[in-house]
Amino acid sequence: MIHVDRLVKHYADLRRGRFVALGGISFHARPGQIYGLLGPNGAGKTTALRILSTVLRPTAGTATINGYDVLTQPSKVRHQIGFMSANTAVYDRMTGWEMVEYFGRLHGIAAEQLAERMEHLFDRLKMNDIRDLLGAKMSTGMKQKVSIARAIVHDPPVLIFDEATAGLDVLVARALLNTVAELRDHGKCIIFSTHIMREAEKLCDRVAIVHRGHMLAEGTLEELRSRHHERDLEELFFQLISQHDGAHPPEEEAP
Amino acid sequence: MNTANVKLILSREIRDQLRDRRTLFMMFVLPILLYPLLGMSFVQIQQFTQEKPTTVLVVGANHLTDLPRLFENGRFAPELFSDPSRAKLLELHFPPDDPSKTLAEQRAEAQRAVQAGQYDVAICFPETFAEEAERFERTIRDVNARQEEDPDAGPAAAGVKHPPICEPETFYTTANDKSNIAQSRLDEVWNHWNQQRIETNLAAAGLPVEAVRPVELRRSDVADETPYRGAALWSKILPVLLLIWALTGAFYPAVDLCAGEKERGTLETLLSSPAERSEIVLGKLLTIMLFSMVTAALNIASVGLTGWLVFGRLPEFGPPPPAAIVWLAVALVPVSALFSALCLALAAFARSTKEGQYYLMPLLIITMPLAVMPMAPGVELTLGNSLIPVTGVVLLLRSVLEGGYWQALQFLPVVVAVTLAACLLAIRWAVEQFNSESVLFRESERLDVGLWLQHLVRDRQPTPTAMEALFCAALILLIRFFIGSSMQSPEDLAGFAKLAIVTQLVVIAAPPLLMTIVLTGSPRETLLLKPPRGMMAVPAAIVLALLLHPVVNVLQIAVQSLYPINEDVLQALKGVETMLRGAPLWKLMLVVAVMPAICEELAFRGFILSGFRHLGHKWRAIVYSAVCFGFAHAVLQQSLMAFLVGVVIGFVAVQTGSIVPGMVFHLVHNCLPLAVGRISPEQYERWPGVRHLMSPVEGGGYLFDWPTVVVAGLLAAGLLVWFGRLKYPKSEEEELRKTIERR
Repeated sequence: MIHVDRLVKHYADLRRGRFVALGGISFHARPGQIYGLLGPNGAGKTTALRILSTVLRPTAGTATINGYDVLTQPSKVRHQIGFMSANTAVYDRMTGWEMVEYFGRLHGIAAEQLAERMEHLFDRLKMNDIRDLLGAKMSTGMKQKVSIARAIVHDPPVLIFDEATAGLDVLVARALLNTVAELRDHGKCIIFSTHIMREAEKLCDRVAIVHRGHMLAEGTLEELRSRHHERDLEELFFQLISQHDGAHPPEEEAP
Repeated sequence: MNTANVKLILSREIRDQLRDRRTLFMMFVLPILLYPLLGMSFVQIQQFTQEKPTTVLVVGANHLTDLPRLFENGRFAPELFSDPSRAKLLELHFPPDDPSKTLAEQRAEAQRAVQAGQYDVAICFPETFAEEAERFERTIRDVNARQEEDPDAGPAAAGVKHPPICEPETFYTTANDKSNIAQSRLDEVWNHWNQQRIETNLAAAGLPVEAVRPVELRRSDVADETPYRGAALWSKILPVLLLIWALTGAFYPAVDLCAGEKERGTLETLLSSPAERSEIVLGKLLTIMLFSMVTAALNIASVGLTGWLVFGRLPEFGPPPPAAIVWLAVALVPVSALFSALCLALAAFARSTKEGQYYLMPLLIITMPLAVMPMAPGVELTLGNSLIPVTGVVLLLRSVLEGGYWQALQFLPVVVAVTLAACLLAIRWAVEQFNSESVLFRESERLDVGLWLQHLVRDRQPTPTAMEALFCAALILLIRFFIGSSMQSPEDLAGFAKLAIVTQLVVIAAPPLLMTIVLTGSPRETLLLKPPRGMMAVPAAIVLALLLHPVVNVLQIAVQSLYPINEDVLQALKGVETMLRGAPLWKLMLVVAVMPAICEELAFRGFILSGFRHLGHKWRAIVYSAVCFGFAHAVLQQSLMAFLVGVVIGFVAVQTGSIVPGMVFHLVHNCLPLAVGRISPEQYERWPGVRHLMSPVEGGGYLFDWPTVVVAGLLAAGLLVWFGRLKYPKSEEEELRKTIERR
C-alpha cells in the first residue's frame, strides 16, 4: 500500500549548510496495519510524512501510495490519503460542519452521499455539539475531532498521522488513539509518527526508529525486542540513538 | 483544472473574509464614512481660512494724497476690492505719529514687526510720496496743455521728462502662509488703486481707458457642455483613486488569505487536500479580485456622491460626469486582476501577516508612479505610453472621461493586450510562489548577516543561485549609477575611451567576477568558459550577427519612432558621434566592441544567466538575463534594443553551452554599425555588392533595403532553428522539470 524507497530530502540551512533531513529511508506498510515512525524531534519524521502527503517534493528516491507516485501523480495520491498533523489546523472562521463539508466536497463526494457520511461521522466522533461552533471558539480536543473528521471524510485507504497527539491532554489523546485503532480495524493502512514510546507500544504493528534522517531499526515490536535483547522500548530507543550518535557525532545540535 | 474546486475555494474564502470584522470595516464602513467626513472637513477648513482677517501695519499713511481714496474709516476703501465686503479681511494698524523717529527707523521697525509675526504684512509710504505723486500728475496735465497748443508735438517733443514714480514698500514673509495671504490681498487692493489712478491720469490727458489695453484677448471655454464640465478635474482624480483602492482592497485580503493561513496553520491542511495548487491560487485570486473591485467601487461611489454634494455647487468644478462611473467600472476588472495577482504572490511569500503588511509600502511605491505619472501635464495617450502597464489604463480612462473616444478606441487593443500580459505574468508568479516549498515552508529564522554570509560562501554551489544573479544585476546597476553621476562626460576620444573602459571593467565585469570567485565552486561552469558544443557554433554566431544586423537596424528605427529620443540626449549622442568619427577604426572597435563583448558577456551570459538557469526553465533564464542586460543600458531606446539582442545571445549561449559564440556575436554586432557608418560615397559606388543591399538616405548614411531585411531575417531565423536543435546541457532544475513533464 505504501512503498517508500531510499527517500532523500535536503534543505538549504543557514546554520548547517546543506542539511540532510532524510538520508535515504525505505519502508513498506500494508492495509490493516499501523506503521509507527519513532524518533526524537528533528529526526525527519515530519519531512517524510510531508513528502508522502505531496506537500514537499523529495530530493531523491521514490514513494508510492496505492500505486501512485508522490512526485509525478500528486493529485491522485492526495485522493488516497487523509493527512493530519500538528500543523494541519482548522479554520477559525468556519464551523465544524462547514469545515468537514468543505474538504468532503474538495474530494468530489456527491452532496447527498457527503451529508449521509457526515451525519455518520459526527455521530461516531460525538461531534454533534460542535456542528455550528466556529473554529476560533473550539477547545483543542474539539479541533482535534474536526481534524480527524476532515481527514477521513472521503474514506481514504491510507491515513497519515504526524505527531497527532502533540499538545493534547490525556483524555483527548486517548480518544484519538482509540479512533486510530478503530480505523486500523476497518482495514486502513496507517502511518503514525510519534516520539512517545507508550503510544507506539500500544498502537503500532510495526515500527521504524528514525534519527537524524536515518532509519536505525525496523520491524515488529517483538522483532526489535529480541534482536536488541531489550524488553523496554524506551531503553531500546535510547540505546539505538546513543549508539548512532557515538558512531556519527553530530557536528552541532539541531536547534 | 477542476472548476468545481475553484468555485468551492472561492465561496469559502469569500465567506471567510465576510466573517472577518477588519475586512468588513476596510471594505464597507471606511469608504462610506471617509469621504463625506473629508468633504465636510474640506468645506469647514475652506471657510476657516477664508474668513480669517489679516493684519496690516501702515507706516507713513499721513504722506498720502487723497486722490484716489485709499483708506476709509480705518480700512481700505471698499471700492478697492472686487467684493466690497472683503474690506474687513484686512485689519489696518496705524502706528502713533512720533516726530522723533525718522522714516528709516519706522521702516526698520515695521520690518522687524513682520518678521516677529506681530503683523502679517507692513506697508510703508515714503515721505515724498504725496509730493511726487502730485508732481507726476502735474506733469501730465502740462503735457496735455502743450499738446492742445501744438497738436503735432508728442510728449518727447514737448521736452517734458516724467519724474520717477515713487514706490511704497511692503514687507511680508513667504515663511508664513498668513503673511502670503495678506500680501495677496494687499496686491488686490493695490491693483485696483493703480487702476483708478490710471483712469484719472488718462482722463486728465484726454485719453480713453482703452488706450492702455488696446486689444483684449477674449477667452471662451468650449468645454461648457454639461457632461464634461469639471471633467478635467475628475478625469485626473478618479483613475488614481481607483488604482489606490484597487490595490489596497486587494492587499489586505491577500495577506489574510496567504500569510494569515500560513500563520494559522491551515495552509498545509489545504495543500494536502486534493485541490491542485493552480485551483487554490485561482480560488484565492478571484476572492482577492472581488474584494479589490468592491473596495474600489465603493470608494469611487462614495467619492462621486460626496463630490456631487460638495463640488457640484461650485461652478468651476462641477459634479463628476455620470459616464465616468461606467468607464471606471470597465477599467476596474483588469486593474484589479493585475493588483490581486501581485498581492497574492507577495502575500504567499510572507511568513506571517506582520511580514505581509511590510510589503504594502514597497508595492505602493512601485505602482503609484505608474498611476500618478499620467497626471503630469502634457502626458497623453500615445502608443509608447499605452505600452506601460497601469499608466496605459489610466491614460485611456482619462482620454475617455475627457471625451476623446476615438483616441481611446485607437489604443484600446494595445492597453488591453499589455494589461492582460501583465496579469498573466503576475498570476504565473503567484502560482510559482505556491509551488515553491522554500516559500511555503519558510521557517522564521532570526536575521543574522554574519551567519548568512558564512552560509553563502560555505554552501556555495558550482553555479550561482537565481537570487545571487539578481543581486549581481542590481549591483551592476547601482555601481553604474554612482560612477555615472560622479564622472564627467568625455570631451575627447581619450576621455571617451577611458570612461568606456572603466565602465566595462569596474561596473560590468568586476562584480560578477568577484562574485564568481567568492560565491561559486566552479568558475568554469558559471562563466561558461567551455568550448562550444558543435564545431560550427562560432562561425554560425558570426553569420547570425551579420544576418541580424539589417533586422536590428529596422527595429532600432521603429523603437526610436515609437519612443522618440529626448532632444538633449540626442544632442549629446550626436556630439559623441562626431567626436568618434575621426578616431582610428581599430581603437574604436577595441573600446566599443571588444571590451563590451568580453565584459558584458561574462556578466550577463556568464554569471547572471547561469544563476537564472536554476529557475528550471531555459527561456525564463534567457529573458530575465536579457532584461538585466537591457537595464544596464542607460537610454531607454538602447535598453529595448539591448533586451532583444540579449535574448538572442542568451539563447546562443544556452544552446552552445559556451560563452565564446555569444562573445563573437556581440563583437560582430557592435563592430558592424561602426563599419557601415564609415562607408564613404565613393566606396558605395565602387562596391557593387553594397549597392544591392542598401541605399543612401537623406542627411548621410545608408539604410538596408527591404528585400535585404526580409531575406536576412529569414536566413537568421533558419540559423536560430539550427541553434535550437543543438543538444544543450541542462541545469538540475531543468532536468527535474523535464522529468515531471515527461511522466
